[in-house]
Amino acid sequence: MTSRQFLIRDLLVLLAFTGWTLALPFYASEFVVSMALTCLMYVALSSSWGLFCGSTRYLSLATSAFFGIGAYTTAILLGQFSWVETIAIGAGMAVVVAVVMGAAVLHLRGTYFAVLTFGMTELIMHAVTYFEKTVTGTVGRVLTVVPERDTIYLTVLALAVLAVAVSIVVRRTRFGLALMGIGADEQRAQTLGVNTRLVKIAGFALTAGFAGAVGAAMAVRWTYIDPHTVFNPFIGFQTVLITLIGGVLTLWGPLLAAIIFSVLAESLRLQFPQIYLMSLGLLLILCVLYLPGGLASLRGETFKGWWNDSRDWTKDLRRELSGEKEREKQRLKRREKESHFV
Amino acid sequence: MSLTAWLELITSGLITGGIYALVALGLNLQYGLMRILNIAHGEFLMVGAYLTWLVQTQFGLSPLLMVPVAFVLLMVLGVAVHFLCFRRLTATSPNLDVFEARGLMVAFGLMFLVQNFVSWQWGGDLRGYDYLTEPVKFGEAQFAANKLLVFGLALLFSGALIALLRMTLLGKGVRALMQSAIGAQLMGIDTKRLHPLMFGIGLGLSGIAGALLSMAYTITPYMGQPYTVTALIVITLGGFGSMGGALIGGLFLGVIEALGMHFTNPSLKALLSYVVFIAVLLLRPEGLFTRKSRKA
Amino acid sequence: MSEQVLPLLEAHDVTVRFGGLVAVDGVSANFVPGELVGIIGPNGAGKTTFFNAISGVQVPTAGRLIAHGHNLTGRGPHRFAAHGVARTFQTPRVFPDMPVAANIEFGLKFAGKRRRKYLFWGDEVGVPWALRDAASILSLIGLSAQAELPAAAITPSQQRLLEIGMALATRPKLLLLDEVAAGLTESEIEEMARLIRRLRDELDLTVIWIEHAVTTLLRHVERVIVLHQGRKIADDTPHNVVRNPEVIEAYLGDEMAEPSAEEEEVAA
Repeated sequence: MTSRQFLIRDLLVLLAFTGWTLALPFYASEFVVSMALTCLMYVALSSSWGLFCGSTRYLSLATSAFFGIGAYTTAILLGQFSWVETIAIGAGMAVVVAVVMGAAVLHLRGTYFAVLTFGMTELIMHAVTYFEKTVTGTVGRVLTVVPERDTIYLTVLALAVLAVAVSIVVRRTRFGLALMGIGADEQRAQTLGVNTRLVKIAGFALTAGFAGAVGAAMAVRWTYIDPHTVFNPFIGFQTVLITLIGGVLTLWGPLLAAIIFSVLAESLRLQFPQIYLMSLGLLLILCVLYLPGGLASLRGETFKGWWNDSRDWTKDLRRELSGEKEREKQRLKRREKESHFV
Repeated sequence: MSLTAWLELITSGLITGGIYALVALGLNLQYGLMRILNIAHGEFLMVGAYLTWLVQTQFGLSPLLMVPVAFVLLMVLGVAVHFLCFRRLTATSPNLDVFEARGLMVAFGLMFLVQNFVSWQWGGDLRGYDYLTEPVKFGEAQFAANKLLVFGLALLFSGALIALLRMTLLGKGVRALMQSAIGAQLMGIDTKRLHPLMFGIGLGLSGIAGALLSMAYTITPYMGQPYTVTALIVITLGGFGSMGGALIGGLFLGVIEALGMHFTNPSLKALLSYVVFIAVLLLRPEGLFTRKSRKA
Repeated sequence: MSEQVLPLLEAHDVTVRFGGLVAVDGVSANFVPGELVGIIGPNGAGKTTFFNAISGVQVPTAGRLIAHGHNLTGRGPHRFAAHGVARTFQTPRVFPDMPVAANIEFGLKFAGKRRRKYLFWGDEVGVPWALRDAASILSLIGLSAQAELPAAAITPSQQRLLEIGMALATRPKLLLLDEVAAGLTESEIEEMARLIRRLRDELDLTVIWIEHAVTTLLRHVERVIVLHQGRKIADDTPHNVVRNPEVIEAYLGDEMAEPSAEEEEVAA
């Protein structure tokens, strides 16, 4: 398929997805719609996370920070500003924080970066907690102005579709190529003319904006928010997990994984919440070890490869157990000794 | 504040600091040697605590006995975990950056797995038992006996590890590997055997820490994470790979925390510790207590 | 209309220090358009570090770097690329998962783009015809057949050619080649040298070439800079450099003690 054909295919799938999720509230039960809402939230979060962190391989754990910032924006400003304005401001605040954070931190790689973003998330949470306690004298906030369920649903749907659409578009632009170059070999990309600092900050700000917008929208689902709920690092962890399992470099992987996990989460949540989390953990380990490209990279060859690998492994094991390995070693040793006498 | 009060405060800080040091040493061993940032480290501490609690409540065995047992059990677990999860990564990762990132993610997965397994089996409530709760007096100051024991043993094991690394041939091999992996291998040091062993020892240390903690504090399936975070902060302050730094850093952090808790409110303390953490990572990534000698 | 011949790149007293080790020690050199310069020196002389400094990859501890009159000291590699400095790395650093053609296009889309000037009907001005797009660059370096293969799948010597192609895609004025002939046979080195000369002639470039295959290099370049322990000990024609006693001493008489007959003939 040519690049144009891929584009058309992607857009068609996106359109179908949009149409289907749009129609959902009209015929599905309350439970299903609620599940779809969580699913759409994670679609938005993972797609935007994968956009930056997937291609550049800078693993950001700061999603919760931006989510929380958006949530607090809503808690404070909704009522004075309209719904759309509040979401936009939430996204904007997250972007500002991301630019500051990024400028300070994006020159570090790998584990340093991941640990730092985590630290900054916790920092922001504690800062907000402290500020609330001492300056405003509150522990959490109650949301008084709450829009209709359908409005929330539509907003999150729009954000999810936008996140996927932006991913589709960015991949085809110079910006997307720059991101991939940074992930492949950052210094090389620099010598070829990429202003990596700017590109990284822009990418980071993009993910932050989405996370902030999603946070701002979802805040109204909880009528009472406090720092521990909205800055919960688990939101960030789950985003990362879903994107990694789905396939961090792919377009549809995160979406697929988000759907699977939302279904799993909702069905297991009431009786076996821990089993859901355990399976997440186990799946992540298995994916990193055996399927680094994620679920979306599963192909016929992958299964063949696994089959061959396991066959080789059992063959090797059998040889070792039957003592043949030992015998071969002895044979080689004898041959070596003989060659010394030549 | 009276002298006794100061003494009690600083000692309680040292006690928690001793635990921090123990956990940090294990984490440091794993990262400094193998570049595996095991963020599930705290979960294994929690496992050690639960094992000790289980044994104590089911069979009445003294937790003191469990300390070496916990070490052995968790060491074996560590070797198994390394074999199952991390060995394959060494073979399949194209470079160090990718290996570190993948190791981090595997550790992530382990964190979810272990934490929720325990929560599933034993529930999320607080558990605990009483052991040596009578207070001990030094002059006017009063300390709980169990906490003193915890401190003493934590220092003992930390010291033992450092001694092991400094004085035995094995330890020297480990330190050589930390400084130059290829050079050490050329000298004949076998990483295939050494890595799982050291990973196991690292986990064993956190198992000890957990066993010790269970003597004096209540346990929950979620107790591990704060210790992982604190251990991270400690090894950042002390310098990645520096054992002495981890020990000093742990004690130091414990005291700072105790002082902070007492004089300010907990949120500010948490805030300040993260500010310090980030500042150190950004400005002096080789740690506060190491000499600025290494250059890439 | 005549242009003032500004040096393409001026290095003033460039020093690079790593802790206690001085890798480059006060090296100064100017490079003018159209030159073919070789840099030689025993191992550890600081040649690659010097390259790193003049391409922006390494910020010098002291000294200044001026490209076309612009002070680029301390700026990042992308600024150097924007001013026409392109380089290859000793071990080829290609983008392994992208196809060969995409590797070339990368440079075209970034630094290569910035240096284009359009006439209003969409033609590019000031860019050599041979560098107009990925396909022409590929045919220039001889990798047209491998265009769709992932870069990881081609042979190491092909990867080295790809490295050069990627550098050319940035439409440079100054091309830094770091040991592009390492590990090649005698005839292959000769071929590489001829390619480099062609590139310089056809593409209006200045080429600076680090090489260990000293004899071949000396046959093809017009000017040689010799580095030893971080310092520049000679900067002259090949003919004079082989007779320079300090240079001879630095190499301990390995390759250059007696100027061979052919060196005499070529350098004359």
